[in-house]
Order: sequence, then structure tokens, then C-alpha cells
Amino acid sequence: MTRRISKYKRFLMMNPIIQFFKFIYLSIKIMIVVAGGHGGTREIN
Amino acid sequence: MSRIVILGAGIAGHVAASHLRRKLPKEHEVVVVSPNSNYQWIPSNIWVGIGRMKPKDILFPLAPLYAKKHIDYKQAKAISFYPEGDAEEVKPYVLAEYVAGANKGTTEKVMYDYLINATGPKLNFEATEGLSPGKNKTHSVCTYTHADEAWNALNDLIQQMKQGKKAKILIGTGHPKATCQGAAFEYILNVEQELRRHKVRDMAQITWISNEYHLGDFGMDGMLMSYGSNIMKSSEMVEMIFEDRGISWILGAGVNKIEDGVAQYETLEGDYKTESYDFAMLIPSFSGHGFKAYNKGGEDITNKLFKGFMIVDADYTPKPYEEWSVQDWPETYQNPSYPNIFAPGIAFAPPHGISKPRQSKNGTDITPAPPRTGMPSGITAKLVADNIIEMIKHSNNELHHKGSMGNMGAACIASAGFGMTKGSGVSITTYPIVPDYNKYPDTQGRKLGKTFGTIGLAGHWLKLALHHAFIYKAKMKPFWWLIPE
Ligand SMILES: Cc1cc2nc3c(=O)[nH]c(=O)nc-3n(C[C@H](O)[C@H](O)[C@H](O)COP(=O)(O)OP(=O)(O)OC[C@H]3O[C@@H](n4cnc5c(N)ncnc54)[C@H](O)[C@@H]3O)c2cc1C
Repeated sequence: MTRRISKYKRFLMMNPIIQFFKFIYLSIKIMIVVAGGHGGTREIN
Repeated sequence: MSRIVILGAGIAGHVAASHLRRKLPKEHEVVVVSPNSNYQWIPSNIWVGIGRMKPKDILFPLAPLYAKKHIDYKQAKAISFYPEGDAEEVKPYVLAEYVAGANKGTTEKVMYDYLINATGPKLNFEATEGLSPGKNKTHSVCTYTHADEAWNALNDLIQQMKQGKKAKILIGTGHPKATCQGAAFEYILNVEQELRRHKVRDMAQITWISNEYHLGDFGMDGMLMSYGSNIMKSSEMVEMIFEDRGISWILGAGVNKIEDGVAQYETLEGDYKTESYDFAMLIPSFSGHGFKAYNKGGEDITNKLFKGFMIVDADYTPKPYEEWSVQDWPETYQNPSYPNIFAPGIAFAPPHGISKPRQSKNGTDITPAPPRTGMPSGITAKLVADNIIEMIKHSNNELHHKGSMGNMGAACIASAGFGMTKGSGVSITTYPIVPDYNKYPDTQGRKLGKTFGTIGLAGHWLKLALHHAFIYKAKMKPFWWLIPE
């Protein structure tokens, strides 16, 4: 096992308060990617 | 009046059926033919496989829901396709065999005006000698029964480890051309976390075995992604996670034979090697179901409909990797020979892979097949439903709804451990799913920002929230259609 994630980063990753805001941010970001729409590729190019 | 028949009630089939039923007047019939009596939310099988969820938490019976929603349901499996009817039947039909109830074993000609083939993949365990869930200490998490069995075996091993047994755990792909690396990736991280929870982590050696050339390829040629304020390769991210969790890896491995506790594999260098284990979860290759098709005169026309999976509006001309383009990928999932047949989700034949193809020195293809995850399966099913609705309402064959995987984003929230405070998830979004090297030449075919990764507890909450949201949606509870695919 090699420590690749620092203690500080791990704290950020696992802190419930920080992660609560991350949860809201991620939900919105994912919505934007997914609801951002889709379409064909042949006409555009 | 039109009759739309949907084969399969997985993510694609169920999404298509529910949208068709909601949007079409009752005079049109929506019929679902599927052998499994339950709907299952497959992504949560990972948690069944570590004993943190029970099969009942991820499934519900289809018959009562379909009865309530006026969707005709036949618990049967499609066997063969007659897209022109036959000598007696004018209408096209699918021959289906009932698998349960009073009609079990009998066949029926299921007539249709429009057909949606959403039968997903056949889990082709037979393609790897000795690979069979529950045998030779190998397991699968591809269905809830497999996942439950995997947990029973893993739990037995954990109890033995508590008594002092040292164990080897092998997780990854069980065929040189397997796909679905994402599911195996989730499982290995969840197993690792469970071993820590049971305080036996130091008794186990955990190894990732995969047909990927790089870690984090996921059958998608890897990704260059935004990671916080940095730009990172998916290979670097997965390497960081594996090293941090003490997971070792074997790459470019084409597993070709399983014996009791031993996986035999070929490497890209052409060497034949073995890896022993006490517990393995290896994803099998996915294949088409081997359906046959016949024309009106009874002649075999299987090659007009199938190329393993179903032929759709993709460009299947064989070409080298350097010439692959997003334009090869289908947009409407319509069969070119029979415009009233569609195949969304995993059921359509992809034009080629996404990852760069590689062969071993002995000529064996060792390359991940292209994945079709839940989100594109749902999106393609919905657009097929919308096109059929327009074809019915406007009596024309124009298809306005399009969705190529080269112009579609996907989110993959990979669980990295279960628990409201101790859990973790690797949240990745990709846009587009199939890299467009012309549009995004400097960022490996993907748009940075829309392609990003992050790790942490929020990922676990998100995956859990999606579990509940998608089961709510699948149960067609009030306003279900507001939840996107
Ligand atoms: C363990 C695991 C974890 C996953 N995790 C994720 C994840 O986190 N996120 C994500 O986006 N994707 C995930 N996926 C992928 C996702 O599950 C698939 O993309 C999705 O299930 C594909 O949907 P589908 O409807 O095309 O096929 P399926 O869901 O496989 O459905 C096929 C349907 O066809 C039926 N059928 C089979 N044969 C016949 C026949 N002869 N006649 C009629 N019906 C038939 C089957 O019973 C089933 O109902 C995961 C997959 C696995 C295995």
C-alpha cells in the first residue's frame, strides 16, 4: 500500500460538511452534462 | 391502432415501454416480452455483491406495474424474427416462448407494427472455458442472483480470514474481449473497503486483471479529464486509487481458461501465464443472443438483422483505428432493412470498438469491447420511443430524434465503498462518450470540464440517490418522467 492521497486531501474527501456541498455541486454538474442534450453527428460535420 | 412490441424489460426496454405508454393514446397497444419477471436496477448489484443490499432492495415485479399501467406483459423470451410475416401471417412477428405460468414452454407469434429489440447482452460465460458463476471459485455480479451468490462466497472467505487464512482475490475481466470494466472497478473497490470494515484487509492480496492496455481505459480509450484544477488522465487517477488501496494489477490480459482457483491468461507479449485466487469476480464477454430471422418465404435472413447484436444505422465498413470516426456510430438505432425495427441500449451492434484494438504476438485480440452504460441505454430507448410516436402520429417515416454516442454525455458514478459516513465514490462524467478527435483534438477527443472526475463521500451519496431515484422512476410513480434518463 502506497499513500497516494494525502491526509489533507482525504479529510476533504471524507468531511461530511464539505461533501454535502460537493454533492449539490456534483448533482447540478451532472444534470448539466446529461440534460445538456444529445443529437446526431453526421449533419453537424 | 398500432401495436408496439418491446423485447426486454431492462433499462432500455422499460424506459421505452414507459415513455410509449405515457405519450400514446390507449388505442395503441404497448406489449413487453421479457423472460425475467422482475425489473432490476443492475448498477446496485455491486452492493448486493458485498452484502450491503439484498436482491429485494434492487428489484420489483413487473407484472403488477404493467397491469396497472395498461402495458401488456408476456413473460416469454424471443426466439426468432419474422419481419415480413410468413406464408400464413401478413403481419411481421416475433416468435416467443413462454418461460413461466400456465403457458410455459408454448410459443406464440407476437405480431407488431413496430418492434423495439432491447434484449441487451447475452452473458457469454461459455466463451471462456471453466468460467461459470459459482464454479471454480469464480463469481459474477451481472445479475442479482449472481451478485447474491458472490456475496455468500466472499462472506465465507471473510470468516476464514478472521480465523487466520491468507487469501488472494482476483477481480476484473474474464475474456480477452470483455467489456463492463467499470462494474469490475466498482466491485474491487467495494470489496477492498469491506475487507477493511471486517478488519481482515491485511490478510488479503487483491489483484485487478483486465484486458485494458492502460488502467482506466474502461473500453473508452481512457479519458483526459478535469480533476479539481488539474488535468489528469483516467489511467493516472485509477493508478492513484489502486496504489492508495494496495491493489495490484495485471493489464493486457486475455483470460482464456478457468480452473479451480486458477485463471489462465495470455498477455499482449504473447506469454501464457496463470494467476491463482481464493475468490474471483470476472466479467464474462457479452454477445448477441443468437437470434435467427426469416423472410416471408422462410429463408434465413439473419444477416440482414444481426451482426452478433442487431444491425442499426451505423457504418459497419471495416476500417483501421486511425480512420474511426464518431460518424460511424448510429443516431436513430433503426434497422436499415426494416424501418419498423429498432435496437437501443446494448442490443445494437456497435460499428467497432472505442479503445485502440491490440493483438497479442500470437494474434489474439486483447481489447475491451465498447461499453454501453445505463445512461446511453436509457437515452437511446427514449429517442426510439419518441421517433415511433411521431411515426404513428404523423404517419411518416421521418426520424427527428437523434442521439449518437459521439454527441452524448454520460455520467458514471462508480461506487468505491458503501457507507453514509465511510463510503466513497469515483464520479466521472464524459462528453462525448465516443471520443471526437476532430472536434477535440488536443484533449483526446473529449471536452474538458464536461469530462471530469472527482473522488469522495459525495460520490457515494450520489450513487445512492440515483439508486432511489431510478427505482422510483422505473416504478412509474408520480412525475417519474421528470427524472432524466
Ligand atoms: C454489475 C453491473 C454494474 C453496472 N453499473 C452501472 C453503473 O453504475 N452505471 C451505468 O450507467 N451502467 C452500469 N452498468 C451497465 C448497465 O447495467 C447497462 O448499460 C444496462 O443494463 C443496459 O440496458 P439494456 O436494457 O440494454 O440491457 P439489460 O439491462 O441487460 O436488459 C436486457 C433485457 O432483455 C431481456 N432479455 C434477454 N433475452 C431476451 C429474449 N430472448 N427475449 C426477450 N427479452 C430478453 C432481459 O431479461 C432484460 O430484461 C452496469 C452493469 C453491470 C453488469
